[in-house]
Amino acid sequence: MANHTQSEQLDKIVSALLGPPGAPVSRADAARQADMNLAPVFEVVRDLRDLPRPDFKPRLKSDLERRAKMASAVAKPVPETRVSATPYLSVRDASAAIEFYKKAFGATEVMRFAQPGGRVGHAEIDIGGARIFLADEFPEIDFRSPESLGGSPVRIHLDVPNVDESARRAIAAGAAVVRPVADQFYGDRSGQFRDPFGYTWVLSTRKEDVSAAEMQRRIDDMSRQRGSSAEESAAPPKVSFIREGFHTVTPYLIIPHAAEWIDFVKRAFGAEEHFRAKRPGAEDVIMHAEVKIGDSMLELADANPQFPATPSTLLLRVSDPDAVYARALDAGATVFDPVTDHDYGSRGGTVVDASGNRWHIFAPTPDSRIFGAFGAITPHLYARQPVELIHFIEAAFGGEEIYRAEMPGGGIPHAQVRIGDSIVALAGGHGPYEPMPSTLHLYVPDTDALYARALAAGAASIQPPTDQPYGDRSAGVTDPFGNRWFIATHTRDVAF
Amino acid sequence: MPPKDAHDERLLIAAAQQDPARFTELYEAHFERVYAFVARRLRNRDDAEDVTAEVFRDALANLGKFEWRGAPFAAWLYRIAANAIADRWQRAAREQASPLPADPPDDSAAAAPEETEKRARLFRLVGTLPADQRRVIEMRFAEGKSIAEIARELRRSGGAVKQLQFRAIQALRAAVEKAPRAKAKKPVSRHG
Repeated sequence: MANHTQSEQLDKIVSALLGPPGAPVSRADAARQADMNLAPVFEVVRDLRDLPRPDFKPRLKSDLERRAKMASAVAKPVPETRVSATPYLSVRDASAAIEFYKKAFGATEVMRFAQPGGRVGHAEIDIGGARIFLADEFPEIDFRSPESLGGSPVRIHLDVPNVDESARRAIAAGAAVVRPVADQFYGDRSGQFRDPFGYTWVLSTRKEDVSAAEMQRRIDDMSRQRGSSAEESAAPPKVSFIREGFHTVTPYLIIPHAAEWIDFVKRAFGAEEHFRAKRPGAEDVIMHAEVKIGDSMLELADANPQFPATPSTLLLRVSDPDAVYARALDAGATVFDPVTDHDYGSRGGTVVDASGNRWHIFAPTPDSRIFGAFGAITPHLYARQPVELIHFIEAAFGGEEIYRAEMPGGGIPHAQVRIGDSIVALAGGHGPYEPMPSTLHLYVPDTDALYARALAAGAASIQPPTDQPYGDRSAGVTDPFGNRWFIATHTRDVAF
Repeated sequence: MPPKDAHDERLLIAAAQQDPARFTELYEAHFERVYAFVARRLRNRDDAEDVTAEVFRDALANLGKFEWRGAPFAAWLYRIAANAIADRWQRAAREQASPLPADPPDDSAAAAPEETEKRARLFRLVGTLPADQRRVIEMRFAEGKSIAEIARELRRSGGAVKQLQFRAIQALRAAVEKAPRAKAKKPVSRHG
């Protein structure tokens, strides 16, 4: 190999330069020693003595990357001009609201400032990094809650990582569905939910970034499609099978003195009257009326020989049971059970109104798993054979038993069956709790199918499916326990 | 790779001031020159690594204070390095209970940029050698191994290792001589 001598000679230079300390090598020495003109490589070899160890550069790099990451985490640049907006919610029961927001939205309590007298003067919660202020309402300084004002026109938009998961959690905590979760043309997947304190929340997850031009194109497409389908088929606009403002189950009270009763629920429970049809020629007789308490609708009519009075038991969820109980007594109700703490997770008391309905006015304890999903009003049925009633609701209406408490002797003090988006509570009836056959109104996707199913499960027909002038197709049955069920499908909106 | 020109470097610094994660790009561009600067003044690999790490950590922590005044970023790093080296010498002097170390370092940061640049370029060129040549150079010079040790580790004969060393050094010499000298560059554009 031609290079053999050269490589040996070069290594002598290298060895000399790397050699034991204290053996200085000059350029001339090295060249002489190599006995050849290798001078041009001398500088390279000398400089290579400082070559860094190969692992040092990547090691220091990862150390710096770690430090840079920590620096980014602590030093988020905040422009001085940044403005932030924070919603400040007025609620009728701030403590309960904080608990609700913890359960529904995973909020954490940041701080709370209690006034003398127990009211929350100011509190702050954090939902995924978003700050929200809230406090108890203070009517004396005109700081009023949606419950006092009859709603809030402001919606709060929460961007969440997974809207479907967040929606399930909110519903389980007791939020009412205003608009179910769906993909929106502007690139979000979102839904609207109302909390028990009267605020509407938009839960939303960004799915795609849509330009303003693309949004416009999609809106135009949607309105074109609507326009053309209306021209081609003249089909009525699609409506939900549940009438606006209703849930699957609505108690229907057939009672004496219906007009006075409406005044009572307005005074006692802040009910809103939505509709009233009087009998022609008999102005004091109500053929049909609708009132709303919180998120729940109640329907009622004056009893008559065809439909004798069936007063009912209703569970009324409130934030301050003592205050509402007192208001109910002031408005003319009588005491059935005074307000006490119940070890099954609520505080409540029971009154009876002048028309014979029994109201259990209660607030779930903050950690209640039993009543957390209740809306403002839940119908309560009593039956001598409650288990059979549960089976009937399951067989006839596709109900699903979600809770059952059993006494050692086999009695059922409390059970819950879910039908659609609603809950029906029930218990064994005995002693002071004699069965009170009630009337319930169900909104279902297919009245005819459910009517047939109810008859197959042992119900008796009151009325076969019929189209009603008010836009529903409805039918009626009586169950083996004496309760009446009106089954309806909303098919079109009719202006009254 | 070093930044193409001052403009690129300025953008890189501004980016790293906004987002510290971008600092590694500055590190990649300047590691060799800082190490070359430090190693020549300390003559001990452990100390050189300590001080080089100190320089870059300090630069990362204080990057927000760096203001562009036309001097290259490297000059700022050299100043940090010179201070760190001076600290180390003073500490060493105190520990040895002598007023000054016997061999005070060449501490003028401005004195050596050209020499330092040349060595930094050489270090980067080592990374461009064929893998077996690169390993021999790294083991021989950075890890201080003898030809016999390298031969054992690479399962080659001593002669073969010397051959690889020879070819590597020849290639490095050729590349160093060929590499363009920044100062020889003349601006062409009149708008420059």
